[in-house]
Amino acid sequence: MQAVEELPPKLKNTVELFQSVQDPRTKYEQLLYYGRKLNPLGNEFKTRENKVEGCVSQVWVRAYLDDSKNVWFEADSDAVLTKGLAALLVEGLSGNSPPEIVKISPDFIHIMGLNQSLSPSRNNGFLNMFKLMQRKALQLYIESEKSEDQKELRSLGSNGSSVEAQQIEVSEKPSESADVKSHENEMGFTVLSERGERIIEKLERELVPIELEVEDVSYQHAGHMGAKGEGGETHFNLRIVSDKFEGKSLIKRHRLVYDLLKEELDSGLHALSIVAKTPSEN
Amino acid sequence: MVILLILVQSSHIKGKLVEYNLQEVNGSRLVYLDNAATSQKPSLVLDCLRNYYESFNSNVHRGIHHLSAKATDEYELARQKVATFINASESREIVFTRNATEAINLVAYSWGLSNLKSGDEILLTIAEHHSAIVPWQFVAQKTGAVLKFVTLTEEEVPDVEQLKSLILKKTKIVVLHHVSNALGSFLAIGDIVQWAHDVGAKVLVDACQSVPHLPVNVQELDADFLVASSHKMCGPTGIGFLYGKSKLLSSMPPFLGGGEMIADVFLDHSTYAEPPSRFEAGTPAIGEAIGLGAAVDYLSGIGMQNIHEYGLELGVYLYDSLQALPNVRIYGPAPSETVKRAPLCAFNVENIHPTDIATFLDQQHGVAIRSGHHCAQPLHRFLGVNASARASLHFYNTKDDVDRFIHALKDTISFFNSFQ
Repeated sequence: MQAVEELPPKLKNTVELFQSVQDPRTKYEQLLYYGRKLNPLGNEFKTRENKVEGCVSQVWVRAYLDDSKNVWFEADSDAVLTKGLAALLVEGLSGNSPPEIVKISPDFIHIMGLNQSLSPSRNNGFLNMFKLMQRKALQLYIESEKSEDQKELRSLGSNGSSVEAQQIEVSEKPSESADVKSHENEMGFTVLSERGERIIEKLERELVPIELEVEDVSYQHAGHMGAKGEGGETHFNLRIVSDKFEGKSLIKRHRLVYDLLKEELDSGLHALSIVAKTPSEN
Repeated sequence: MVILLILVQSSHIKGKLVEYNLQEVNGSRLVYLDNAATSQKPSLVLDCLRNYYESFNSNVHRGIHHLSAKATDEYELARQKVATFINASESREIVFTRNATEAINLVAYSWGLSNLKSGDEILLTIAEHHSAIVPWQFVAQKTGAVLKFVTLTEEEVPDVEQLKSLILKKTKIVVLHHVSNALGSFLAIGDIVQWAHDVGAKVLVDACQSVPHLPVNVQELDADFLVASSHKMCGPTGIGFLYGKSKLLSSMPPFLGGGEMIADVFLDHSTYAEPPSRFEAGTPAIGEAIGLGAAVDYLSGIGMQNIHEYGLELGVYLYDSLQALPNVRIYGPAPSETVKRAPLCAFNVENIHPTDIATFLDQQHGVAIRSGHHCAQPLHRFLGVNASARASLHFYNTKDDVDRFIHALKDTISFFNSFQ
């Protein structure tokens, strides 16, 4: 279970606040208070794409990026308790980068003690709200990557050798990866799954890194969107130090890694958390 | 956090003692008021299920050995019990299905697809449950038949005059509820069946909210089809039934294909069994059917007329108690000398969302009601609301349950109002 310390600061504060309130009625009052503070959502944003599936009341969530590519959320609901829950998430998640948001496991919902179950059922509004916000954050990230590439292309000028900005489809296709799970070898170290091995192999071959760490953290995301692969292999943390990153912006570095791992992304790999440094930056 | 504590509460219905087990939920005693969604089960039914699986679990209609013969006997006995319960003329007019929804689909796919053609009309009310509407939408799409809907009067009951005027030569089937799961209103099925038969139309009665609560007599109603679900009548889930007049069922093609519903199977075609087997493909929910039989015994033991009268009385108490609260709007007719109301109320409280109400009632008071559209979106759209809250009772609920609900509701309302 993801520790509270690992949550982004504002979410961490909110979770701890609710944890500290013992009396259920007071918790509800606190929830309603959050809801009241929520900025109203313009009617033009109450669209189908922004509607949270599976809520017995109506909930809409909107997301946009600021200039620093951090995600900001707005939300609304016709029921005040769900509005309060939405407000919690809006306050806790806003201002973070997409990778940070996508990394969060929904375990914190349980810690808050609001009796919202974690099962992804039709009526589980809170979980669905959270998943929608993560999905939107990821979408915005991908779109901004695409437009970054196109901006760079335009600034470089077209000279005939056009590089297609590749669209990374992070859809919820069922995993087609091999049914090999991470397992412990006889020394008790966790051995990486086949996908992990493939990732290492590709990165080593193309980036010739002086340092490479590949960690399968799929277990942290088991049960929420994207973690459809059998036995993990859906979420990885990567740390790469390579001189191939010299002269490239952060976004170009990430783009490079994504391109190298395109096959994996097409076959069930859901998300990567990437630290990409040059040897001098290390 | 759920703390489980088994308490036993008794209620008296006309001198018969009814006991049911209670739990503690979220620190309060559970008050279960969601009976229109599903009912609680008497230990008689649970014992029966257990006994089946322990003593004579075996496949039915297929074997020769002792266990199989016993299981078959009990299964067919259950069928007979259901037939007697609704006064069908013979037990083969009862087809066991998974639930009422499946039973309606059976009629739609089997009778509907082979009898309806372009321009024919299917008449329903806008208060019908989704299970009574959607299968007929499929049929309409496939055959070109047209769905027609009766709306409500000012008193918020289906407009029977309008219904009468909409029954025409083109009408081939009328599909309607006996008792509405949201409005609590009753329809005069007997009259409607007569009008329908006068133009040669069939009638399918959705009796999900009536069979568990009052005596239903299919011969008296002269309904062509009638459906109900076991789980709403103190029986297990996973079993329900379709009642259909013998001649009608015999004229219908199969719905699901497979074992049991066949006579002879060749490579390229098969011949089919007589009803009810024709419509019971595959191994049925044997234990559950027998459990339903036990539920029928249990209800009969109390007496459906007794249950009905108790329900009406408690229903009025619920309605009056709820109506007395300010800013509460109950849907459906007001109960009176001439207007019966089922023991349920779908309602809204001004400025408070029903989901907020249901959540708070559950979390703070252990009161279980429902919030949403109760599988009746067209009805809610007609009433101009997105959702409503609903409290629904059964014969094991008491005045005390209603009092606790009202007390909890008052607290809930004042909590949310203090935040406006």
